[in-house]
Amino acid sequence: MEKISYSDEGQFCSGHVACAGCVEALSMRVILNAVGPDTVGVVAPSCSAVILGGHPMSAAKIPVLHGTLESAAASASGIKRALLAQGRDDTTVLCLAGDGGTYDIGLQALSSAAERNEDILYICFDNEGYMNTGGQKSSSTPLNAATGSTPLGKVTRKKNLIEILAAHRIPYIATTSPSHLSDMAAKIEKAKAIRGTKVIIVLIPCLPGWGVADNAAVKTARLGVESGVFPLFEIEDGVRYTMTVDQKNQPIDAYLAEQKRYRHLSDDARNKLQAEVDETWARLTAMVDNCPL
Amino acid sequence: MNKQLSPLWTHLTSENRVTGTWRSALPNYQNQPSPCLGACPVNGRIAEWIKQVKDGDLRDAWVTLTDNNPFPAIAGRICHHPCETACNRRDLDETVGICSLERFAGDTALAEGWSFPPPVTERPQSIAIIGGGPAGLSAAYQLRRRGFKVSLYEAKDALGGLMRYGIPSYRLERSVLDGEIDRIVAMGIDLHLGAEVMNQAALATLQETHDAVLLATGASLPKRLPALDYARSWVIDSAEFLAAPVEEQRSRTGAQVVVIGGGSAAMDVARSARRLGSEVTVLALEPQDRLPAQKTEVDEAIEEGIVFVCGAMMQSAETNDNGATLRCVRVDFDPGDVPGTFTVSPIEGSGFEINAATIIPAIGQDADLERWSGLAPAGPVLGTDSVWQTDTPGVFAVGDVASMNRFVTQAVGMGKEAALAIADMLSPGIAAPAPAAAAEVEYSRINVAYQDTHARIQQQVTGLDERLTGFEEVQLPLSVEEAAAEARRCFSCGTCIYCDNCFFYCPDMAISRTASGYEVNVDYCKGCGLCVAECPTGSIHMQEDTAS
Repeated sequence: MEKISYSDEGQFCSGHVACAGCVEALSMRVILNAVGPDTVGVVAPSCSAVILGGHPMSAAKIPVLHGTLESAAASASGIKRALLAQGRDDTTVLCLAGDGGTYDIGLQALSSAAERNEDILYICFDNEGYMNTGGQKSSSTPLNAATGSTPLGKVTRKKNLIEILAAHRIPYIATTSPSHLSDMAAKIEKAKAIRGTKVIIVLIPCLPGWGVADNAAVKTARLGVESGVFPLFEIEDGVRYTMTVDQKNQPIDAYLAEQKRYRHLSDDARNKLQAEVDETWARLTAMVDNCPL
Repeated sequence: MNKQLSPLWTHLTSENRVTGTWRSALPNYQNQPSPCLGACPVNGRIAEWIKQVKDGDLRDAWVTLTDNNPFPAIAGRICHHPCETACNRRDLDETVGICSLERFAGDTALAEGWSFPPPVTERPQSIAIIGGGPAGLSAAYQLRRRGFKVSLYEAKDALGGLMRYGIPSYRLERSVLDGEIDRIVAMGIDLHLGAEVMNQAALATLQETHDAVLLATGASLPKRLPALDYARSWVIDSAEFLAAPVEEQRSRTGAQVVVIGGGSAAMDVARSARRLGSEVTVLALEPQDRLPAQKTEVDEAIEEGIVFVCGAMMQSAETNDNGATLRCVRVDFDPGDVPGTFTVSPIEGSGFEINAATIIPAIGQDADLERWSGLAPAGPVLGTDSVWQTDTPGVFAVGDVASMNRFVTQAVGMGKEAALAIADMLSPGIAAPAPAAAAEVEYSRINVAYQDTHARIQQQVTGLDERLTGFEEVQLPLSVEEAAAEARRCFSCGTCIYCDNCFFYCPDMAISRTASGYEVNVDYCKGCGLCVAECPTGSIHMQEDTAS
């Protein structure tokens, strides 16, 4: 087996209040250490805000601005411009938000920042719902997943935010998973070196929100990658697609079985979900195969 | 604690918050036995030495191996490998080739000329060992390395017992046998080769001059088939045949040989006779898939053109012009509940005949108990207690004379166990106590996401033409690259491989690396169990923690 390769420099601190076994905290550990100390953080109201904050303590060893839910990308843009005005061109501005703050409420600010190609590194911790407020559905919630506000399962499919972002032709978009920590660190380091808007979406199986066992979020995320539900890939300049884990080696069943939110699924509903995953995968591999040089 | 941050509005780190109080369970690093260890006749720490092979530390691997078995190059060739049968990897793809790796490490040691260090402390007590086969040599090694004086008595002119006089060189190269035995003798053994055959009277004398005596005289009496007249010129005893030099074997073997028996000795006889140019038929009571011999031996015998007549027995044999005619009958074989308690019933009207120039029965050996008239037997072997002591205090017995477990490595294991018991009796506390029995790691505890799946790397075998014209080894060694690749297939069940997964997968930074492994910070561990779930080897466990 390959060892996990990144260096923990202590940028993320013990004593935070994430749930036991939370892989959002685990991912934050990788991201904060990979991005390094010369960074200013902006966080939208979300689990991330809870994990990082709790006045007068902070779990991050970088300054973090707690903004509003609709304005994370706008706040980050402003901070970056202020830093540029001070001549601190190399300081990274790291924006952390959930899928509610990205797919739904913060999409306008993100789209605007992307259109202006603001030099920010935007991380979306995608736990496919408003898990911090009791588990309501978001536009990122997948088809048929049960949430507090869709108890019989969501009737529409997950919003394809990645294609929306790709349409902005920003320099870098990537997906990553807490089951692939070396990949996560490598993508952060790569993004950090690029000027312009970079967006990385991290799959976060939410223990209470998805009904995953305390010790099983990494396994669930891994099954999500291996079943093609959450492919790991990069898009450069909105057009050049590259797969980072290029095999889909199993059906979705093992992934679904880890989660209570899919427990009610009929065979028909399961087959629809599988068909959607297969179709998305086929579309993605076609993008990879046909990507311009 | 009041860890200061830069002078911002928020001025403390979250480390001031103790989240360990949330916990109800705590991870515990606990190396747990692998299934191969439990199955190993010498209790070899297989997961540990394979890890050392994987890391390229072959010398360390050899040291670990020889802690329990001074014969890794021998065992790597001929062991019946119950470890491989027990290997957890069978549930993923194929079991690990443990024997081929053991042979690789053992051969490396011989090639490099590694030797055993002299004992750290010389001790005054002496032990007499009667019999220089695998059991006796194993005991001699274990006692000598603990500083005891060892006198070893062997009736033959060379050491090795069954390994030399029962196993042909195409399975066990003689230079390997000599090399591993010489290394033990070099530790300073008082050696008596060609010694008189010992009996009860000689035992009494040895008891006076030594602090303990160990009998490892093997099973020297061939079992006899009642239907066969052993006085006939066309009958050769298998033990005698295997012990004889090749020239003598050649001069006594006719053009058609029938070997009676289905065990390893029968395979050895049959394959030796085949190499001497004979047409060979094996006649066995058991059906072919139940033969007591190892599967590889049977497969290789078939490759070499040996004909198997299984599920049949000889009822009589009569002299004819070219040797003998065997009158045989098909049988129903019932293995019985306990090994060795089989019954056979002839099938009416199924009689047939086979012609043979030579018949070599190889149906097993019995221990010669008459020599030890003062020691109580237990069935066909000497009676011993749990540490191989006979009913006479200070007299121990191991190997074929004391057990019906007749594989070479089982004898090596018994020799070790008796040696440790003797050492503990003579100098209490010097033999490390056997580790407490613990549950073996199950396949479900291995995180196979960290394992590549690829098939076992098989040892190459010598071409058939060469095999049929000589006694060169059939199984060829793994190359350095093959051994490294095969070692990487080992799950290291229950043994920490210091992969850092637990360190990196902790969302609470509650695990730190230490000089000897890892440490859990109880102030912050929330008890989620991610470290346990992502441990590739199953060497961390959650245990209930009510203290917090």
